[in-house]
Amino acid sequence: MKILVCIKQVGDDGDMNRFDAHALEEALFIKEHSDNTMPEPVSVDIVTAGPSTAEKIIRRAFGMGADRGFHIVTENSDYISSFVTAFGLSAVAKKTSYDLILTGIMSEDMMAGQTGPMMAKILNLPCATGVIKIFLPLTGKTIKVEREMENGFRDGLVILLPAVLTIQAGINTPRYPCLSNMLSANRKQILSLSSEDLFWEPIRARESCIGMEDPEKARTGRVLEGSVADKAAQLFSFLREKNLI
Amino acid sequence: MKQILVIAEIFKGRIRPVTWELVAGARKIAAILSQTRNIPGKHLPCIQIIVPSDNPKPLAEKISEQTGNAVIGLQIPGFKTYTSDIYIDCLGQLIREMTPTHILAAHTSQGRDFAPGLALELNAASISGINHIRFDETGLFYSRPVLDNTKNMLVRPDPDRPVMLTLMPGVFKPDSHKKGKTKQVDILKISFGSDACENSRIQPTKILKRPCENQALKGAKIIVAAGRGVEKKENLELISRFADCFSSSAVGASRPLVDMGWIGYEHQVGITGTIVAPEVYIACGISGSSQHIAGMKDTKCVISINKNPTAPIFRHSDICITADVLEFIHAFLTLPDPV
Ligand SMILES: Cc1cc2nc3c(=O)[nH]c(=O)nc-3n(C[C@H](O)[C@H](O)[C@H](O)COP(=O)(O)OP(=O)(O)OC[C@H]3O[C@@H](n4cnc5c(N)ncnc54)[C@H](O)[C@@H]3O)c2cc1C
Ligand SMILES: Nc1ncnc2c1ncn2[C@@H]1O[C@H](COP(=O)(O)O)[C@@H](O)[C@H]1O
Repeated sequence: MKILVCIKQVGDDGDMNRFDAHALEEALFIKEHSDNTMPEPVSVDIVTAGPSTAEKIIRRAFGMGADRGFHIVTENSDYISSFVTAFGLSAVAKKTSYDLILTGIMSEDMMAGQTGPMMAKILNLPCATGVIKIFLPLTGKTIKVEREMENGFRDGLVILLPAVLTIQAGINTPRYPCLSNMLSANRKQILSLSSEDLFWEPIRARESCIGMEDPEKARTGRVLEGSVADKAAQLFSFLREKNLI
Repeated sequence: MKQILVIAEIFKGRIRPVTWELVAGARKIAAILSQTRNIPGKHLPCIQIIVPSDNPKPLAEKISEQTGNAVIGLQIPGFKTYTSDIYIDCLGQLIREMTPTHILAAHTSQGRDFAPGLALELNAASISGINHIRFDETGLFYSRPVLDNTKNMLVRPDPDRPVMLTLMPGVFKPDSHKKGKTKQVDILKISFGSDACENSRIQPTKILKRPCENQALKGAKIIVAAGRGVEKKENLELISRFADCFSSSAVGASRPLVDMGWIGYEHQVGITGTIVAPEVYIACGISGSSQHIAGMKDTKCVISINKNPTAPIFRHSDICITADVLEFIHAFLTLPDPV
């Protein structure tokens, strides 16, 4: 069984998107707990599209235990459409016949939650978003999952493989990279691909970013001034006035 | 005629109220289109609401009655519960025969699940999580939260194709319902692919409800809620001591604390936890994600303690306290009682 996990670099520190760490952890967990039940060994590949600095999270993924790492090297760019990303990642996915493709439920920077379901459509695979539980062991043909809905509801599903799942935080606790993996990670080769290697035809975004704004204030927001003790005293008298303390 | 389509959100055979927000969003788009384009009245964009179900007639009639808009009941034989495969296929078949400019769904666990795939199926643009609908001389554009809710990004779809939009729940205020002016209700039957629903690649087993005894949260006048800013599980002890200062209080938490197993699910505030509206909500080291805010925005008075003065939570607060939350609570607990 072959698993592909899509990981994205986000934030000023260039860390792995939090939800993607959960997706990778889940893939590694499946690998460790299905090797006996599956006809063939389980492998976990990762793919990321991003500038050269994204190598950092590939190394981290190796450190956590990923087998192969693909890097679609892109220019630094302010806006990348989920649509374009999904085509790029799908092109990598097509090179190997993966049984399971995992993404995070959303990226912390773009917060779109679109890349996974779009990949599923491009690859003509079934897709479930917000997966909060995967039932193990896997046996091969199908996968049993629960996806999270609002207000504590969960949707139980049995999905035919190959499939795309987007992973919600809370499914597991991502491991830290381990030393022995980190050492061998440095020897592992990152398989770099340019967009020209992948795109059979240029994919253009269907929307464009025309600006950024600060969100408006929903409440007045009185700012307390002074030392920490002053602020604490002000809060105390405020609550005392309201008869709450 | 150009159409603005709304996909009603149906859960367990019922219309979810977010549907009325989608209709409000569609009306806003229609109003902008008719205002900015010099189109004669009869070409005004028309709003149509689509209700997928195995027996859509009663739901469709109810929606038509409540909104006064035209409704299409999409009858899918053998359809039991929502799956993305069935929605994308059946809605795709229906909408391909129409000429929509905009297709609206909710940015909920259901809408997020099928909208991106449906957009691709229809060769449409796709923009998710919209919190504002705006326009300028070039046309409509949309705002959506990005960068951990610290900014809004303004996005404009290409004009030459339809656009699929998912609207953030709780943002677009439903209009007061127009009763009595019931418009047309059409029932259209569409089968899932060449197959029956039983052959779908996604088989629903059952819908479960996570047991949640959250009476404490619901009943409290003051909720003291902890976020990742409390840094360590052990520090929740301090949060409890803070909460104990008040006569009617409970401890809440942001989702990551529950996910990490620091505190039980019954304490989680937010869209996937409990929705609360106490007199005072004290957010301790919570950044203010839209999913958390949606769970406490009807609070009377919001007080936030955060060490980052630009944390999004401060935009949703009546009182902003920029401080290390642990230091602040220590200071509060050691105040000389002024009485
Ligand atoms: C589909 C979906 C559903 C979700 N549902 C929910 C939900 O129901 N409820 C929910 O809460 N979240 C939910 N989330 C998660 C949500 O997106 C955020 O990840 C989460 O709310 C962030 O929690 P936080 O504010 O505690 O952590 P962070 O975002 O990490 O914020 C921590 C804050 O603490 C501050 N801080 C750090 N140290 C200190 C200190 N010493 N003193 C003071 N301040 C400090 C930081 O400045 C920061 O603002 C959901 C996400 C998804 C995708
Ligand atoms: N540039 C990228 N490289 C790899 N994976 C990505 C990239 N962008 C998005 N993804 C994946 O798609 C998920 C959803 O992203 P988004 O649609 O941006 O919210 C992320 O959690 C990642 O798993």
